[in-house]
Amino acid sequence: MFQWTDEQQAIRDAVRRFVAEEIEPHVEELEHGDMAPYDVMRKMYATFGLDQAARAGFRQMLDRKQSGDAPRSRRPGDSRAAMTLIPIIEICHHCPGIVTALGVSTGLAGGTIMKRGTPAQMERWGLDLLTLDKIGAWAITEPDSGSDALGGMKTSARRDGDEYVINGNKTFITNGPYADTVVLYAKLDDGSDTPVRDRRVLTFVLERGMEGFEQSKPFRKMGLHSSPTGELFCTDVRVGRDRLLGETEDEPGGGGRQSAKDNFVTERAGVAAMALGVIEQCLKLSVAYARDRLLWGKPIGDFQLIQLKLARMEVARLNVENLVFRHIEMSEAGQSLTLAEASAMKLYSAQAATEVAMDAVQLFGGNGYMSEFRVEQLARDAKVFQIYAGTDEIQVTHIARDLLGR
Amino acid sequence: MNVVVCVKQIPDPAAPSSLDPTTHNLVRTGKLILDDSDSYGVEMALQLAGQVEGSEVTLVSMAPGGEVSGLRTALAMGAAKAILVSDDALAGSDALGTAKVLAAAIRRAQPDLVLAATESTDGYTGTLPVQVAELLGMPSVTFAKSVAVEGSKVVVERQTEAGYDEVECPLPAVVTVTAGVVEPRYPSFKGIMAAKSKPVDTLTISDLGIDPSEVGATGARQGIVQVAEAEARSAGEKVVDEGDGAQRIVAFLEQIKVI
Ligand SMILES: Cc1cc2nc3c(=O)[nH]c(=O)nc-3n(C[C@H](O)[C@H](O)[C@H](O)COP(=O)(O)OP(=O)(O)OC[C@H]3O[C@@H](n4cnc5c(N)ncnc54)[C@H](O)[C@@H]3O)c2cc1C
Repeated sequence: MFQWTDEQQAIRDAVRRFVAEEIEPHVEELEHGDMAPYDVMRKMYATFGLDQAARAGFRQMLDRKQSGDAPRSRRPGDSRAAMTLIPIIEICHHCPGIVTALGVSTGLAGGTIMKRGTPAQMERWGLDLLTLDKIGAWAITEPDSGSDALGGMKTSARRDGDEYVINGNKTFITNGPYADTVVLYAKLDDGSDTPVRDRRVLTFVLERGMEGFEQSKPFRKMGLHSSPTGELFCTDVRVGRDRLLGETEDEPGGGGRQSAKDNFVTERAGVAAMALGVIEQCLKLSVAYARDRLLWGKPIGDFQLIQLKLARMEVARLNVENLVFRHIEMSEAGQSLTLAEASAMKLYSAQAATEVAMDAVQLFGGNGYMSEFRVEQLARDAKVFQIYAGTDEIQVTHIARDLLGR
Repeated sequence: MNVVVCVKQIPDPAAPSSLDPTTHNLVRTGKLILDDSDSYGVEMALQLAGQVEGSEVTLVSMAPGGEVSGLRTALAMGAAKAILVSDDALAGSDALGTAKVLAAAIRRAQPDLVLAATESTDGYTGTLPVQVAELLGMPSVTFAKSVAVEGSKVVVERQTEAGYDEVECPLPAVVTVTAGVVEPRYPSFKGIMAAKSKPVDTLTISDLGIDPSEVGATGARQGIVQVAEAEARSAGEKVVDEGDGAQRIVAFLEQIKVI
C-alpha cells in the first residue's frame, strides 16, 4: 500500500469536511475548557453512522461470546484499521485531544469490557460505551507507579465474602473527571502474605456516583487541553462480583495483567496515526508560511536553513505514513504487529511528531509562539505522544527485550 | 417515484486548472469530482424520494474517460444507481450537444422528476437544464428554492430578484435548484463502502442512438472565440470617517443602487 484507495479517500474527504465545519471553528473553546469534547464526538458518530455501526458490531461480538466462539481475530480483507485510523489522522490536524478522549472511551474502556466481560457485562456497560451514549475511562496509572503500573500498583481489592472492597488512587486518567463508566485495575488482597508486587491484578467496572468513589476536576496541563485528565479516589468502594470483569478471578485469558497488555499494540498504532496527523498539518502550515513570509525581499523558503526544516518534516511524514500504511496493510492481510514492532512504530512517530512540531514553531518565528498560528498548540500536544501509552524509554525496553531475547 | 439528478463531474476547483490553448476548453484530465452545486440537487432528490415509498434516485452524467469519482460521492450520499455517458466523440461538445446526450440518457431512466443545478461551477452557461427539458418535451421550472411533490404535480418556490414566485407544474418536469437551498448530507462510512458496488451503467453515444455528427466538436454550434484576462480591479474609494462616515457610505450605496 502506498496511497489511500478511492473509498479511503472518500472517507478522508468526508471527515475532513466534518473537521472543517464542526471542529476547526471550535478549537479555541475546546482548548480552553469552554467546551467538552464529548458532544463533538457524538455528533461525528451520528453524522457518519458510526453509532449504528457500533450497535451492529456489538451484536456480533455478543453473539460470538454467547456461543462460546473466540473473539474475531483479524481476517484477510479486514478494512477496519483504515476506517479507524483515517478519522484519527484528520482530527489530529487540529485537535489531538479529541482523539485521546474518544480512543480511551471507546477503545480502552469499551474495548476491555467487550473483550473481558461476560455477556451480561457487555450489555450492561459495553454497548453504551461503543455508541458514545456513555463516556468511559480506563484507569491503571497511580501516583507511585506509571511505567511500573502493574508491579507497583497499590490500589487493592480486598476480598470480603462474595464482595470486594476497593481502596486506592489513580492519576492522569483521561476522561476521569467526566466518565460515567470506569474500568479500574486493582491488586487482589485475599488475606494471604503474597508480596504486593506479585499479587493478581483484577479488572473492575465502577460507575460515577458510587459510594466511596470520587472523580477529581480536570488537571491543568502543558497541552492536550481538549482531553480532560484527572484523578480517581476509591475509599472502601464495595463491589459485587458482577463488577469484576469476567465475573471470575481465574480468567482464562491471563487476567488483569494480560488485559492491560492486550491494549498496547492497538494503542501504539493509534498514536502513530495521531503523530501522522500532527506532522501533516505542521508541514502544510510550514510550507505555506515559508512561501508567504518575506524577509530581505524574498520568501524565507529561499533560505537553506528553512529548506532543511521542511525537508526533514517531509522525511518524517513519509516515514510515519509508511509505518501507518504497513500497519493497515498487515491488518488487511489478517496479521497484526508484534509488541516490539508496535513499540518501534510508536517510539519513532512520537519523536518525529514532537520534533516536526517544534521545528514548525521555530520556522514561524515569533508567530510560531503565538496561539493564533496553531503550531504551538500542536507542539504542546505532540509532546504527550512520548509519554502516554508507554514512555519513549519504555518503548525502548520493549524493543530491546525482543531483539535480545530472540 | 423515479427522480433523476443531472450531475457534472468537474476538475477540483481547489487544484490549479488550465484551458486548452487552441480550443479554449477547460482541460479535464486527472480525477474529476462532484460539482458542489450538484450536491444540492442530489440532497433535494434524496429528500423527495424519502417522502414517497418505493422511490429511487438515479444519477445521470456525461464525462470523459469513464470517470466515476464524482458519481461515487453522490452514490455514497444515497442515490441508487447512475448512468454515465462517456465517449471520445463527445470531446468539445457545446451545451446543446451535451443536452442531447443527457436527454437521451435521462429518457432511459423514465423519470417522474428531473433535478439539476441552475448552472455548473466550471462552465457557468446555465442553459443546459432548459435545453434538456425542451428535448424531453417536459415543462421546466428554474431557480427553485423549495420543491415539493404533491400527487402528480410539482410545487416550486421560484427565486426572483424581488422574492419568489409560487409555481406549479405537472410531472414529469425538469426543475433546477439553487445552491444552498438544502444542506447536503454527509455520506455515512457505510454509504461510502456501499457506493462502490452500486450499479453504474456506462454508455456510449451509439448505445443511445446518437449520431456522432450532432455532438462533440463537430456538432457544436457554439465555440469559444477568445479568452481574455479579467480586468484588474481598480482600487475602491476609501472613506475616512470625519464624523460623517456613515452618511457618506449610505450615499455611496444609494448611488450604486444597492439600497
Ligand atoms: C495526558 C495524559 C493522559 C493519560 N491518560 C491515562 C489514562 O487514561 N489511563 C491511565 O492509566 N494512564 C494515563 N496516563 C498515564 C501515562 O500512561 C503515564 O504517565 C506513563 O505511563 C508514564 O508514567 P509516569 O507518569 O508515572 O512516569 P514514570 O513512570 O514515573 O517515569 C518517569 C521517567 O522515568 C522513565 N523510566 C521509567 N522506567 C524506566 C526504565 N525502566 N528505564 C528507563 N527509564 C525509565 C520514564 O520514561 C520517564 O521518563 C496519561 C498520561 C498523560 C500525560
